[in-house]
Amino acid sequence: MHKILPKENLRNFFEKLKELGEVHAPVRRGTIFAFSKIESVEQIEFSYVRTMIPPKKYFIQTCEEILRFTPDKGYSPATTETKKVVLFGVHACDINAIKILDNVFLEEPVDLFYEERRKNTFIVGISCEPDDFCFCKSVGADSVQDNYDLFLYDLGDRYLIDTGSRAGEEFLLSLNLQNPTSTDFEVLRKMLSERDLKFKKTLNAQGLAQIVDSNPSSEVWGRYAEKCLACGGCTLVCPTCRCYSIDEFRDLSLEKSTRTRRWDSCFLRSHALVAGGLNFRPTRLDRFRHRYNCKSSIEWKSGGLFCVGCGRCSAFCPAGIDHVEVLNNLVHLSVMTI
Amino acid sequence: MTSLPPLQVPKLAKIVEIVEMTAIEKMFKLEFLDGSTLSFKPGQFVEISVMGVGEAPISICKSPTRSGPLEIIVRKVGRVTKALHAMKPGDKVGVRGPFGNGFPMEKMKGMDVLLAAGGLGMAPLNSVLQYVLDKKEEYGKVILMYGIRSYQDALFREEVFKMLESQTEPVVLLAYERDDPLLAKIAEKYPHNVRKGVITVLCKECLLPHLRADRTCAVVCGPPIMYKFVLKELVGLGIPPERIYMTLERRMECGMGKCGHCIVGGASTIRYICKDGPVFTGVDALTIRGLI
Repeated sequence: MHKILPKENLRNFFEKLKELGEVHAPVRRGTIFAFSKIESVEQIEFSYVRTMIPPKKYFIQTCEEILRFTPDKGYSPATTETKKVVLFGVHACDINAIKILDNVFLEEPVDLFYEERRKNTFIVGISCEPDDFCFCKSVGADSVQDNYDLFLYDLGDRYLIDTGSRAGEEFLLSLNLQNPTSTDFEVLRKMLSERDLKFKKTLNAQGLAQIVDSNPSSEVWGRYAEKCLACGGCTLVCPTCRCYSIDEFRDLSLEKSTRTRRWDSCFLRSHALVAGGLNFRPTRLDRFRHRYNCKSSIEWKSGGLFCVGCGRCSAFCPAGIDHVEVLNNLVHLSVMTI
Repeated sequence: MTSLPPLQVPKLAKIVEIVEMTAIEKMFKLEFLDGSTLSFKPGQFVEISVMGVGEAPISICKSPTRSGPLEIIVRKVGRVTKALHAMKPGDKVGVRGPFGNGFPMEKMKGMDVLLAAGGLGMAPLNSVLQYVLDKKEEYGKVILMYGIRSYQDALFREEVFKMLESQTEPVVLLAYERDDPLLAKIAEKYPHNVRKGVITVLCKECLLPHLRADRTCAVVCGPPIMYKFVLKELVGLGIPPERIYMTLERRMECGMGKCGHCIVGGASTIRYICKDGPVFTGVDALTIRGLI
């Protein structure tokens, strides 16, 4: 279903969204953007390119309680939140990333916390303009087919709204908006094709998995691993990285002891370390190559890469390592040395 | 009583018995407080929780064909296992699982079964050994190759040496690494079964007379360094790589293919050891980078 929302009606649209739950949208935080709870439409940064932390924080929290235990009763699941959240202003890359996370966490056995939060989240996507780091188009993540409730295409003075779910349709029907005309669709097509030309970065994604797989000893890995600080920042800002680590805390009263999970990173030395001291990825080079292997692998359900081209890992890398540059150099060098 | 397997929330179990297997390895026999039992396959593992300390993945060392408590063997090597070793009968632990694919016992039917165990690797293989012995009519000849450091380090010492001394089936072949007068004496008595060296010393001379490579499946478990060498020897003796099953170790925190720690492989061959394994074949080892 498609409807037209004139921009002067945004406030009204926003107030209606608030009836569905807490609205979270991109806001400015110093030099970066962040998804955050907002009260008024004026707080939203409509023209943001990327937030530092992706929407995954709404589904797997940076650190969260998963179990509680007492010596007598043993373990029981921590109570899950049932707060309804409207995630407003999610870009296509991030919606595609949520789909990849769904395929991990909603696969049997279903992760109960993830499922609960995912079910309680109403996703409103919005069209965007690429910057120097964006390469979503080359990995096929620049548009959305599903996994959202509403998607807003910016047509200048108005939005063309597309629905991606039953809940989205119901919401839109309650708003009494006009249907789009053929001119609106014409403007949309023009907007999208002009946007296509604005991408400056392209990843050679075709056959990338096989090429990465066949070149484990390429000098490219060492060249960049040498620059890498192994801080793990790229994995924290990655919308599809979802490794987590489990900790257990004993409470002195023995009544509130908890098991928690927190975001982990394959760049940390402990990631593949086992009891007894054996490390399956002992060097920074091993860990650097591992992340690129993982991101260049094929996601089993969608058939696409485990990377959506959001550009966060490159934009926020303190060592200035560019994901696309590493992989394109790898492909280039492997062809040159045939 | 049957109930859903406890995959996400550990279920409390009581330690009903602790058996000292070696100086650093103990067997724990566990019974669920609610009286339920776990249905599992040889080669599967469980996550054992010590409340307030954490969780560790441990192989089940008993065959599903045998009733009684769940049995695991734990080496005192890390934080959780150290805490486990300090526990006493009657203490409670949490159990999640079973996880992993386990050994393909169905596929191995009708074949000879060669078990190659190194050190603690005997624990999961004991599950296979009991299984094939209990279903003797469904499997061919059973051969156990066991690599140990010294007599004191052998798991299931009594059972293994009794089988060795009986000189019938299952055939027991033993390799020991360290100078050990007792084992030297046994080696003298059974020169075709016992050798000094690492497990691979057994392959050429001791194993060959018993081996019917065209109808043998091998199951392998040992320290990570062992796989490469054993695989080479066994393939060299004519066992096809697809009939060599190895169970592997990795950091496995969730057991369900979600936490990401046990991911291996190149970009086109990504696998989760906990979910797609821990049992992999020799063909997997050749095609999945970094597997062994």
